[in-house]
Amino acid sequence: MRRIVITRIVSMFGVLMLLTLAIFLIQNVLPADPVRSYFGRNATAEQLEAKRQELGYDKPIAVQYVNFLGRLVELDLGTSLRTRRPVTTDLADFIPATFELAAASLAIAGVLGVALGLLGTRRGVGTGAVRLVSVMWSSAPTFFVGLLGILLLYRRLGWLPPGGRTSNTLEATSTGFLFFGRLLRFELAGVWDAARHLLMPATVLALGPSVAIGRTLRGSLRDILRDDQVRTARAKGLTERAVLVRHGLRNALGPTLSMAGLQIGLLLAGVIVVEVVFSWPGLGQYLDQSIDRADFPAILGVVMVLGASYVVINTVVDLLQLAADPRLRSQR
Amino acid sequence: MTDTQVGGLESDEAASRGQAAARVGRLSTIGWPERVALVAFAAVTVALVLAPWLVGAGELEIVDDPFRGVLDDQLLGTDDQGRDVWARTVFGMRASWFSAVLVIAIGALIGGAIGLVAGFAGGWVDTILMRLTDAVLALPGPLVALAVVAATGSGLRNTLLAVAATWWPWYARIVRGQVFALSRRPHVEAARMGGVGRVRTAVVHVLPGTLGPVIVAASLDVGAVILVLAGLSFLGLGSPAPAAELGAMTARGLTYLFNAPWIALAPGTALFALGVVANFAGDATRDLLED
Repeated sequence: MRRIVITRIVSMFGVLMLLTLAIFLIQNVLPADPVRSYFGRNATAEQLEAKRQELGYDKPIAVQYVNFLGRLVELDLGTSLRTRRPVTTDLADFIPATFELAAASLAIAGVLGVALGLLGTRRGVGTGAVRLVSVMWSSAPTFFVGLLGILLLYRRLGWLPPGGRTSNTLEATSTGFLFFGRLLRFELAGVWDAARHLLMPATVLALGPSVAIGRTLRGSLRDILRDDQVRTARAKGLTERAVLVRHGLRNALGPTLSMAGLQIGLLLAGVIVVEVVFSWPGLGQYLDQSIDRADFPAILGVVMVLGASYVVINTVVDLLQLAADPRLRSQR
Repeated sequence: MTDTQVGGLESDEAASRGQAAARVGRLSTIGWPERVALVAFAAVTVALVLAPWLVGAGELEIVDDPFRGVLDDQLLGTDDQGRDVWARTVFGMRASWFSAVLVIAIGALIGGAIGLVAGFAGGWVDTILMRLTDAVLALPGPLVALAVVAATGSGLRNTLLAVAATWWPWYARIVRGQVFALSRRPHVEAARMGGVGRVRTAVVHVLPGTLGPVIVAASLDVGAVILVLAGLSFLGLGSPAPAAELGAMTARGLTYLFNAPWIALAPGTALFALGVVANFAGDATRDLLED
């Protein structure tokens, strides 16, 4: 058991190193010259050379990589060309908003996914319909669903706001933990307001992952419900619901969890587009604006944060699975 | 993709030519929805090849005043520049569809080559290549592709290469699994004993057997790649500005969402339609080729 956990964590660090190497190579080998873009077009040769030496760009590439790792450990991701602030400071500003959106979305994806999976195990007409809806959902680009939602739920029906995090204009661009902050302070009206703003973007973001979770759950439930233990449970007179929840769901949890882990990765990529559609002031919008201005340090910073979260989350999910299912411990 | 059977032994049967005919005969074993999906896939492909002759206007041509409504003079109105939205949408669909196919082809080629070498060489070559594959698979592909495109500068070629560069690991795993299983089959052993060279054995006697699972995986991937490319294009990382690209068109149309919703809705709906056709056709291909 301990050996598996250690192997898993070591391999996580291996993948993280690969991520940093990829980003380092993108930064250094590709044509964009960071020093030139820092100064703009009118820099003198001396200025460029001095900055190059200051940043260590004249050293051999292996040395540069080690220096790059050193700076990463010190949380130094360079200076944004657009905001002229350290990228780390920018990221720290925008992470809470994205975290709230992703967390809300994950909760919705879990609920929707389990509902879809359970519906799919029913026999009869329902199965085909669930399958149809699943394929349709996973075929729609998030930004398309987003703008349909805005047109319908805001423009036509006026039920939900079209974007942003709050109706309070003073806090309109707030990037902190708005929802959780209000929740902790028991400002009920504020919590309601923040939740209304969260609902549409989080649901749009959750659609794709919920389908994947639902499919995996349905697949493993189908196998498990054919098991002898389920027949025994039914034979001893348990209600169908008890069979499904206690014998089915519990055993189907493992594969579903690992799919959920993978889906968090998808969610972290999808959050970028959703934030742009719903003017959500988080990492995605920051990234979009950075792309428009070719702000490489900022772009690579966001990719680093989202990418590293993806790798770490998947490892945690794997370890959770180990804890939940003793059978996995003896394998490998 | 999780449903794809890796290491199955059935597929080398598919390699023999007599069985290939039987596969086509199995068309009768799949249901009508699946047949419709396969026909739709073929129809979309043909229609998009012929697109320039099917729409009246060019993708950059200014045909009328800006913001003309749906069915005013043009089928889907005009955009903020007075270009024909229907024509641009069709050209955008064409770009999406064939870009996705190209990305998957490149990914399958890279992955296939790595998988073939790993599975056939075995030993430390296999270990190193598969560790590398697993590591790349553990990275968030679309994000890495985004970083590469942002750094190399946007442009269709860069975008396609960047996505393909992160899309090969699954194919490497599938092919490697197949090769591993197939190279222990009698016909491969016979070839080896008959003095056929290693490379020839790999390419002529083993590679064809891996085709089935690769085609299934590829067909299931088309919809996903269309969406990833559309997302990059939406963020401004596809073809540069005037080109007709569905993601970028939707992003531009967002500005006019309440006054001229068709500008964003037309390309969005087109993407959705392509995704649905691709995903249903992928499911149908799986039903057809797998037991």
